[in-house]
Amino acid sequence: MSLDYVKFSPGFDRFMPKEYRDMVNHGPFGKKTTVSQMGSFKEILEEHPMCAGCAMTLFIRLAMISFPNPEDTITVGTAGCGRLAISQAAIPFVYGNYGDQNAVASGLSRGLKLRFGDKPKDVVVMAGDGGMADIGFSMTLHSWFRKERFTTIMLDNEVYGNTGGQESGMTNKGQVLKMAPLGKKFEKMDMVGMAKLAGCAYVATVVPNNPRRVESVIKKAVLIAREVGPTYIQAYTSCNIEYSIPTDKVMEDANSVEGDRYKFEEYITDDAKNYLANRYGYKIYQEKPAAALPKA
Amino acid sequence: MYLVADINVDICAATSCKLCTQYCPEANTILYDDNAGKEKGLKYGSAYVAVDRCKGCAQCVWVCDNMAKHHAITMTMIDQLPKAAITDRITYLDKGTKAIAAPVEVA
Repeated sequence: MSLDYVKFSPGFDRFMPKEYRDMVNHGPFGKKTTVSQMGSFKEILEEHPMCAGCAMTLFIRLAMISFPNPEDTITVGTAGCGRLAISQAAIPFVYGNYGDQNAVASGLSRGLKLRFGDKPKDVVVMAGDGGMADIGFSMTLHSWFRKERFTTIMLDNEVYGNTGGQESGMTNKGQVLKMAPLGKKFEKMDMVGMAKLAGCAYVATVVPNNPRRVESVIKKAVLIAREVGPTYIQAYTSCNIEYSIPTDKVMEDANSVEGDRYKFEEYITDDAKNYLANRYGYKIYQEKPAAALPKA
Repeated sequence: MYLVADINVDICAATSCKLCTQYCPEANTILYDDNAGKEKGLKYGSAYVAVDRCKGCAQCVWVCDNMAKHHAITMTMIDQLPKAAITDRITYLDKGTKAIAAPVEVA
């Protein structure tokens, strides 16, 4: 886990595939890359088998670019659509058994802290709504209650997209799906509220129709998780297959959902604010100088 | 045959929005050539599509039409593109990328 892990063995560079050579020579490792530079450098994410026009893919792509230190990052995932793309990246990916991604990440982040001490090693969990809110629910909440220091990102497509369209805990009430023909009978789970209750230091909801916002949210979440506490991001990543959204209207849908139930919301504790301001120089969280007293 | 995105360099190089590069769900598919416009006397560079990676979702078309309002991207049958970039012919530079656009052989 250092800049050395993506490089050539001496003499073998010309035999490597072009994608690998581009990654070594023009990848983001050891550089600061931002969303505005997209299209000008080789990205960590490679070709993947996810559906055309999938908003989840777009979010994963933006997330990979937003990691503050991609060379020191490990992603953890579980069964679901997301892992099809997350695993096709030039950073290590750990595949947890269904639902135990936050338990795996807990052990991993503790182990990395023991092995590397203060050197930042980021663990980022990216899993779907089913893996996180239904099957891995207990492990997700318990990792937050234990204040495990890693980032949890929910790729919320409001359906089990990979298995044919069953309702999940995050599906909206009344939603009719292929495998839920009578409509869902219960409310959408309030994972954001639970994350705050469980003591996450940073909680945010985003929609990938604003790449710069996604970037800033993920950067903050990963940085805060280094020292302050658990962080949680809930991202709306529509399933254009199960919800029958034409691929060219995915962003239109994202805009309308953002206006409806996925308004941008950010919750940050005072500890996290101070940490970002003092350690990483975030100006918005720095204490403003006291206003000059009006002249008597 | 299948559809891929095709970016009109003349329209794209007149602006510097780069929105399509940020909204494509595929990695390293819409790339940016900083010098594309200068060869034609235009102000900015232009985005282009690595057609071997394009899945034809047309999200970039919606973004270019409705968010950027430039209408520079159209969906075209891949065998009707006179010239196109593919990953093997793309070089990454210190700033931006450069592609050799050539006719695409479709089996």
